[in-house]
Amino acid sequence: MLSCVYVEAGIRQHPRTEKLLARLRHLPLVEIEHYGEVFNPRAQNFRLQKKNPALIIAAKNKGHILTTPEGYGLGGKHNYYFSHMLNCVYDCRYCFLQGMFQSAHQLLFVNYEDFADGIDDVAQQHADQPVWFYSGYDCDSLAYDPMTGFADYFIPRVKSIDNAWMELRTKSTQIRSLLKHQPCDRIVTAFSFTDSHSHAKLEHGVPAIAKRIESMRQLVDAGWTVGLRLDPLVYHQHYQRDFSALLQQIFARVEPAAIHSVSLGNFRLSKSHFRKMSQLYPQEPLFAQNLALNNGIISYPEAQEEEMIGYCENELMKYISPEIYHPCEWHD
Amino acid sequence: MLIWVCALHCEAKPVIDYYRLKKSQQTRAFELYQGDNSACIISGPGKIASAAATAWAAASFAQHAAIAWLNLGIAGAADQALGSIFLINQVTDAETRRSYYPVTTAKSALAKASCISLSQPSFDYHPSHLFDMEASAFLATALRFSSAELCQCIKIVSDNQSENQARDKHRISAFIQQHIQLIDEQARQLQALSEQLASLEVPAEAWQQLASLARFSQTQQARLRVLLAYLLGRDYSMTQILQQIGDASSSKAILGSLQQMGYSDSNEL
Repeated sequence: MLSCVYVEAGIRQHPRTEKLLARLRHLPLVEIEHYGEVFNPRAQNFRLQKKNPALIIAAKNKGHILTTPEGYGLGGKHNYYFSHMLNCVYDCRYCFLQGMFQSAHQLLFVNYEDFADGIDDVAQQHADQPVWFYSGYDCDSLAYDPMTGFADYFIPRVKSIDNAWMELRTKSTQIRSLLKHQPCDRIVTAFSFTDSHSHAKLEHGVPAIAKRIESMRQLVDAGWTVGLRLDPLVYHQHYQRDFSALLQQIFARVEPAAIHSVSLGNFRLSKSHFRKMSQLYPQEPLFAQNLALNNGIISYPEAQEEEMIGYCENELMKYISPEIYHPCEWHD
Repeated sequence: MLIWVCALHCEAKPVIDYYRLKKSQQTRAFELYQGDNSACIISGPGKIASAAATAWAAASFAQHAAIAWLNLGIAGAADQALGSIFLINQVTDAETRRSYYPVTTAKSALAKASCISLSQPSFDYHPSHLFDMEASAFLATALRFSSAELCQCIKIVSDNQSENQARDKHRISAFIQQHIQLIDEQARQLQALSEQLASLEVPAEAWQQLASLARFSQTQQARLRVLLAYLLGRDYSMTQILQQIGDASSSKAILGSLQQMGYSDSNEL
């Protein structure tokens, strides 16, 4: 539940802002000069804010399109990401966004035109080669879509650029606006899942697994391309049983052949994110697990990781062909 | 722990009476009233006085894990009715132009407003802001000790374009008194947040008990604190924790045994 709306004075007259403010007129409104005044101060408690975050409506003035971190992507040569929002509406205990920003407020950049122009420019730089644009790195691509109109704007723009591919990564069921558009092979809606036990324990506010599988199914039926992101894999006593059950549940509703790509990765966090997150949630069992530091990344000890990934890959290969499988690579 | 910061005694009086706070004889720096888990400090008017009192209170109550702050006082407004009450969601210092944003995390029944903090009294009212003389300095100081969710300002209109009651102490107390239930509600929410944060800290006694078992390096101390916070948070008692440690006497062995306890506990997530 949102507690308040902050809006940058310079973007207040923007049509997207006006639409949002009309919708949120029941909330207190505070006009600010720059989003950093509210989003960046150190004296904020992420955990307390996360319960009732505010929405910050702002414009992003530079760095609209960025190259992805190493290892992020689906095997393509040119990989970029862009973030029309910072922070996520969901509260997943393992997510690095919990340790990324000082604030838990939802920061929305409404100048979509500048992001889309950036996509145009980057695509032109790699003319005739496929270029991937990932939209769900700093937020969930679709969770806020009914409010932001993100998909409605970006789908036609990306469709119009022949060598542009876009991944919408989500844990939501907000696919209504996609279903209004003609499908495009170059736009992949990738659904993230963890097994039922991890979902219940760690993914606060995330829609039920079955509902998300149904959304996936609806998109496939409508001719859209979908992806599957089995990330992060979290250890618990029955992870093998629960992972197998998850695959069974997904592939009972979605034809493996209809899936564009599948990725799989263990729970991992940078050392600094881990430290910040374990301080925010000192009673969280996830952070008390047997974890090891490897090249600045905290994850499961190597042998355990191999065992987990090995088991899950084997299970996965019972359903999909290796060509569409992209393991999350983070080791050197 | 909740600390009220008021510029004037007449602003503090309804709070002192409502919570039955007792005057502290320990200090002469500021007038201080104390209760079980709250205190009220009277700073005197103006930014310097407010900043000094807030810093002094933070130092005086530093043993508390998480302090919540409430600046309660009067303000001027162009056309708001006298006695109107507001929870402030933006404070701008008139001189530095710096703005502060207290974060309201829970639903509040109080109307919201922005406030400009001046160094001198002024009757040149602004149509969309309240005017006061302390809030910016209060926040600039309180935010050094607590997070923005724990620092709030409540202002009650004492003067507007047509009437000025800012010098009538009894009227000011009466303005505040008439809203004491709403103010109390806000204070309770703040106090609950501070208690929530305080509960995440390792109690000093438990820490001392464990830290005295061996010589821990700085890194080991940090790890020990994390493990202890986890196990206590998962409702293990100190007796259970000490039983787990058993005969282990070296810092490494103690950490190892607590780590094992954490691993077993977290197996089920």
